[in-house]
Amino acid sequence: MNKTDPIEARERFESDVLSVMGRPGFRYFAALGFCAFLVTLGFGLWGWQIFRGVGVAGISHPVGWGVYITNFVFWVGIAHSGTLISAVLFLFRAKFRTSFNRAAEAMTVFALMVAGLFPLIHLGRVWIFYYLLPYPNQRLLWPNFRSPLIWDVFAVTTYMIVSLVFFYVGMIPDLAVARRRLKGFASRIFAILSLGWNGSLGQWRHYNKLYIFLAAFATPLVASVHSIVSWDFAVSIVPGWHTTIFAPYFVAGAILSGTAMVITLVWPMQRILKLENYITTDHFEAIAKILLLTSLIVSYSYIVETGFAFYGEHPFEAEQFRYRSFGDYAVLYWVMIFCNSLLPLTLFVRRLRRSLPYLFVLSLLVNVGMWIERFVIIVNSLARDYDPYAWGTYTPSPVEIGITLMSFGLFFLLYLIFLKVLPILSITELKEHHG
Amino acid sequence: MDRRKFLQTAGIVSGTVFMGSCGSERDQNKLISYLVPPEDGVTPGKALWYATTCTECTAGCGAMVRVREGRPVKIEGIPEHPVSRGGLCMRGQSSLWRLYHPERIKTPLLRQEGGFLEISWEEALGRIRENLDVARSEGRRSVYLAGRTTGSLSEMIDLFGETAGVERLPEFEYFSHAALRRSYGALFGREEIPHFPIDEADVLLTVGADLLETFLSPVDFAARYSEAVSRENFRWFHAEPHMSLTGANAHRRLILKPGGEAALLAHLLRTSASGGRKPPRAVLDSLPELSPQDAADATGLGEKSLRELTEAWAGAKRPMVIAGGVSVGQRGGEAVSLLAGLLQGMHGWADFSRAENYGNVGNANDLAKLSDRLATGGIGVIFISRTNPVYHAPDDLHLSARLRQPDLAVGFADLPDETTRELDLILPVSHTYESWGDTEPRRGIRTLIRPAVQPLYDTRSEGGILLELAGKGESYRDWLFSRWSGRFGEKALGEFASRGYLVEEAPGEKAQFDPADAIDVLKRIDFAQTAGPGLWITPSIRAFDGRSRPLKLLSEVPDPLTTISYGRWVSVPEADAKRLKIRDGEEVRLSSGDWSVELPARIQPGLLKGRFTVHREHLHRAPFGIDPDTGEFIVRLDGPRVEKTGVKRPLAVLAGSTSRQGRGIIPDPVHREAKKEEVHARLYPEHEHPEYRWAMAVDLRRCIGCGACAAACYVENNVPVTGQKDHLKGREMSWLRIEPYYRDDGAVEFVPMLCQHCHFAPCEPVCPVYAAYHNPQGLNVQVYNRCVGTRYCSNNCPYKVRRFNWWPHKAEEPLRRMHNPDVPVRARGVMEKCTFCIQRIRAAGDAAKDEGRKIRDGEVMPACAQSCPTSAIVFGNLKDLEAKVTRLSKADRAYRIFDVLGTESSVYYLKGQE
Amino acid sequence: MNEPLLFDNSDDFLRALRQLKEEGKTWRELRLHMPFNVPEVEEILEVPAGGMRFFAVAGALAGFLGGFALTIYTVLDWPIIVGGKPIVSVPPFLLIAYILTILFGSLAVFGGFLLLARMPSVREIRECRDFGNHFAILPGEEEGPWKQ
Repeated sequence: MNKTDPIEARERFESDVLSVMGRPGFRYFAALGFCAFLVTLGFGLWGWQIFRGVGVAGISHPVGWGVYITNFVFWVGIAHSGTLISAVLFLFRAKFRTSFNRAAEAMTVFALMVAGLFPLIHLGRVWIFYYLLPYPNQRLLWPNFRSPLIWDVFAVTTYMIVSLVFFYVGMIPDLAVARRRLKGFASRIFAILSLGWNGSLGQWRHYNKLYIFLAAFATPLVASVHSIVSWDFAVSIVPGWHTTIFAPYFVAGAILSGTAMVITLVWPMQRILKLENYITTDHFEAIAKILLLTSLIVSYSYIVETGFAFYGEHPFEAEQFRYRSFGDYAVLYWVMIFCNSLLPLTLFVRRLRRSLPYLFVLSLLVNVGMWIERFVIIVNSLARDYDPYAWGTYTPSPVEIGITLMSFGLFFLLYLIFLKVLPILSITELKEHHG
Repeated sequence: MDRRKFLQTAGIVSGTVFMGSCGSERDQNKLISYLVPPEDGVTPGKALWYATTCTECTAGCGAMVRVREGRPVKIEGIPEHPVSRGGLCMRGQSSLWRLYHPERIKTPLLRQEGGFLEISWEEALGRIRENLDVARSEGRRSVYLAGRTTGSLSEMIDLFGETAGVERLPEFEYFSHAALRRSYGALFGREEIPHFPIDEADVLLTVGADLLETFLSPVDFAARYSEAVSRENFRWFHAEPHMSLTGANAHRRLILKPGGEAALLAHLLRTSASGGRKPPRAVLDSLPELSPQDAADATGLGEKSLRELTEAWAGAKRPMVIAGGVSVGQRGGEAVSLLAGLLQGMHGWADFSRAENYGNVGNANDLAKLSDRLATGGIGVIFISRTNPVYHAPDDLHLSARLRQPDLAVGFADLPDETTRELDLILPVSHTYESWGDTEPRRGIRTLIRPAVQPLYDTRSEGGILLELAGKGESYRDWLFSRWSGRFGEKALGEFASRGYLVEEAPGEKAQFDPADAIDVLKRIDFAQTAGPGLWITPSIRAFDGRSRPLKLLSEVPDPLTTISYGRWVSVPEADAKRLKIRDGEEVRLSSGDWSVELPARIQPGLLKGRFTVHREHLHRAPFGIDPDTGEFIVRLDGPRVEKTGVKRPLAVLAGSTSRQGRGIIPDPVHREAKKEEVHARLYPEHEHPEYRWAMAVDLRRCIGCGACAAACYVENNVPVTGQKDHLKGREMSWLRIEPYYRDDGAVEFVPMLCQHCHFAPCEPVCPVYAAYHNPQGLNVQVYNRCVGTRYCSNNCPYKVRRFNWWPHKAEEPLRRMHNPDVPVRARGVMEKCTFCIQRIRAAGDAAKDEGRKIRDGEVMPACAQSCPTSAIVFGNLKDLEAKVTRLSKADRAYRIFDVLGTESSVYYLKGQE
Repeated sequence: MNEPLLFDNSDDFLRALRQLKEEGKTWRELRLHMPFNVPEVEEILEVPAGGMRFFAVAGALAGFLGGFALTIYTVLDWPIIVGGKPIVSVPPFLLIAYILTILFGSLAVFGGFLLLARMPSVREIRECRDFGNHFAILPGEEEGPWKQ
């Protein structure tokens, strides 16, 4: 980048980033429309499920949780890498994060919005979902704080709130830039959104502290939220769920799927929005390295888990893992192993690591693999637990598939809207790194 | 007050309202106000009990009808009833489904072009009279064909026959036991079936007789089995070529070569001849030669098994043999029943003083005769009552077409069936629970039939109709009462009314044992006449001879051996399944000659190669014809062609596995000293239950897997009946299920599985809203109103006994009226499960509180325990050290399922026999 | 010095600041505007740490104690046995307390920031008073009731 004229450079950052917010084209609207269609369809199906009963889903006895909870865990997992990139890498002063962090933070927020729907969708009586919230009520009854589901409520809402605050706080200086650069109504909106940011020392000195504190608060969330999600399973006594390695295993898996999703989102963004100057192959390589690392952790967890079953002399656990590998859902299991453990090993090759199309395809497959991982864990374990009489299988129903598609539609819809209404890169940080 | 006293008192209470009218539903549109004093016998919130008789089959078990707010809501066995001894089978439990069946015939129906026309009783009876007159004047006979009828109704039919000039035909029953009766006639001069007190025997050999499913009086046999099996010296051999529930429960199942029954019995006769109890010389002489080696070959048992039997037999003080079922439903069945009769006679078991009352019952040959008579056109009016001959008659009788021949074919029926479809006039008869009457299932045992509710529709009792047709002015009830008081006297009548049965003095006469008439048959026995592969039509515990098919609850509760709920199937041996490469639900075609049937397969462990079985209700007609010697229906088809059709038909198999997968559901070995003492470390202090801690003990030695408990649970707790579609998805709602587990040798162990009310329940802490929690009495409770439906509790239940309401389950009218008002009907989206019948615990608790005491042992009886014919289920308070359940929980045989998980469940199982 | 001093790049800006510091100006007597954060500014002007950490500690502590208070109060309010676990089950309650620590801490620092930085400021929203991509030094003090 040209270092001669700092003002010019800064203005170019501004105009480059803000130009993304220009008038959208046909392709954008087509994509938006498609996502909106999926969302409408999915919410329609949800309405149908509420009207008719949860029976329209494929879940049954003994598999009481299916695709809905799979989606919940998947989307919460996706959310994780956003926080990892923005908070943890911030604390580690990893400069490459600047290229990704806004996109990743947005991803966190949107993924959490989508994830938060699924516990509601899977409820038998969603109209009394507020029974799960702690508030004084006439029934004089509070939620059961010993239930992992209540921990979930707390963890996911907290994560949602903290991520939103973090996302927003990181954007305040950029919002002021947008206010300055844009005209008319948009300018006024951004004026309000920027809360009157003017870049004075009185704001900056507290802002710096705020950002560090938020990063510090958000960092443990990276580990704890998915740990708590994993305890939805690990706290139970279901063979295949009840294991101590679940928390780190799930966190690694979450980051694996999250980094994959970052690549899935950012590569097309880089190509379509011509951001090659800002998001470089080096940046992708850095992300790919995180992906590789987490993939290795996940693979290690697979081995440990199977080892427990193999050496544990616990017939229930042993049968569970035999069933996973060779039972009704064996194909999914091996697809999972391929996508999550074997395929990422190719990233040891530098050339592949730096090939963006390859990374993109790999990230898609890792996303698929991670979705399947949750499905395998949830469904297999329930399908074969203690009582052999009650063994059974599960096939997702069209309603569940439709609602799953809706979740992707909703996520990409929110993301598309984000691209057009908010600065997608951190202008201020770009300026800061440029000097 | 113990359970029996409680029920007795309830009986007396119901006796006091004996003469009063019953609760009426008719013309009551208002809710019953608590301000208005109760009239009409209806006290809101109070149940009335009416002692009556179950007529779902003809065994005559005693049934108490529980009536709430004028509606019968539950059937329970009458304790100490001479026939049923307090239990009921699942058919009896389901009998309310017949009362409230949506397809009940509601008015007289007259055949018209293209359907039936509703007509009035006057018109219907007028037509009958008219046609009777015409037939009489034109010289055609009118005939009356009924199902097995005993007691006053039988007398009424005779009376009607006399006055109206109607010939009473031998009654038609699919299970007519004709071969047995014929043999007893030959041997003892009595064409009746003696009473078999199996609990008095020390070695019992049953040959094909399905004691626990349909044979004579299954509930009685189950109760007696339960008594016998708790004795050390009782040993039960069951010989059959296929696999039945009865065989599954015997100590030793002897798998016979098809047709090897006669050889087995003859061998026994010969070997026991060496002991003190000798068969008559003439018999032994007439029997064809049969060396032990030949016997082993002919029976297919092998010498070792055979020797085990003969030695047990020889060493027994009072050995008993019973033949029946599939062993007599084949060519040569006459010899089998004769040989069994000989052995019974030798050992003094032919006691006809309480003979099963089959006096009016004919056999299938009689049906053939009727068909011929119908064809020749000599019949004016035919009455068909409570029987379904069209369903059972072989095709070559052309019964359905020939029923169009008479001037008028009149049916008495409550539900439409194959026979009523062919009739001209259908008279709707009231359900037993709407009628007066009595039965005499055994000689000298009278059981009362009395209404618990006024007829729901414009129906009348059969006796009442006949009385009117006979032109008597009085009501059937008055007629009955005058006969009863004449027969029993006023004092006994009160007892009859309150207890629901009366045992009359047994006639002292002894039957004369004279095998002379049997010699001819014995001479003709050909022991070599055994067969290879075959298809057996087996009776079913769920549908009896098919008559209980319309009751949906009986399709909801799975078949005990296959765990299939809805649909038809053929049971296929594992070996053949492997050979034909078929899996559960794949269709096979069974054919022989021009007969064939396609049914989905269910692989059945314990069946030998080439032995296919299909339940009676899953085949139409009697495809294999009638044995002309005995008039029994043939139930065995030799050498059927079996092929795979390639079609897949989903089969509602409820069991995920037939094996217990080495999971210690029934531990081996079980005795405490051999058991490793598991010590569970506790991080926390244990929670206390100061007064009550409810628990259950299930004796697996007594449990026969009959499923009566499951059916009782459905009715008591308003458990939704969901239907085939949901069952295929594994969405059955049963709170209590029987899990059959097959061992490698084909032996079956039945484990009733229900909520274990764990002391440390895994389902409770995972509920986010406290819908599942532990109540102070040690129950694991589910608060329906609180439940938001996360289903986590079900996931975390190792016993998988929780059920989720996937749909809003709406009971069809009028089945809705069966709902127990003490139990809420669950909304959709909530979890439910066994409550240990908390409503009964509460009721007993209230009663105890009124009297200022604690609940006594035995005072609370969950529906399952009440219904259990073998009293395998004991319920009580673990805090009461004297309680039976406490004693059983400390027994050597006691264990808890998945104890290793530390759930400390409150259901103790007592290990069965090896 | 009434006109704002504008700088294109941070080096010039920092140099000017150092000079002003040498002239004896304290950070209170200057108004600075920066297009992005320059950490050296606070070093040069020896700006004290400010109150954010108190908000962080107070929020976190409130969350931690509040979490325990909520859970323990509610279970004692209606003690219900589930799974045979003690009424006051510390490990799960610790988890709630931990989550609330983060939630309250985060919200407290955000609230504290708005308070300390005097945001949202109606005046600033109405009228833009920043200096674009320039660094600016103005005389005078920052306004507001909570200045430090």
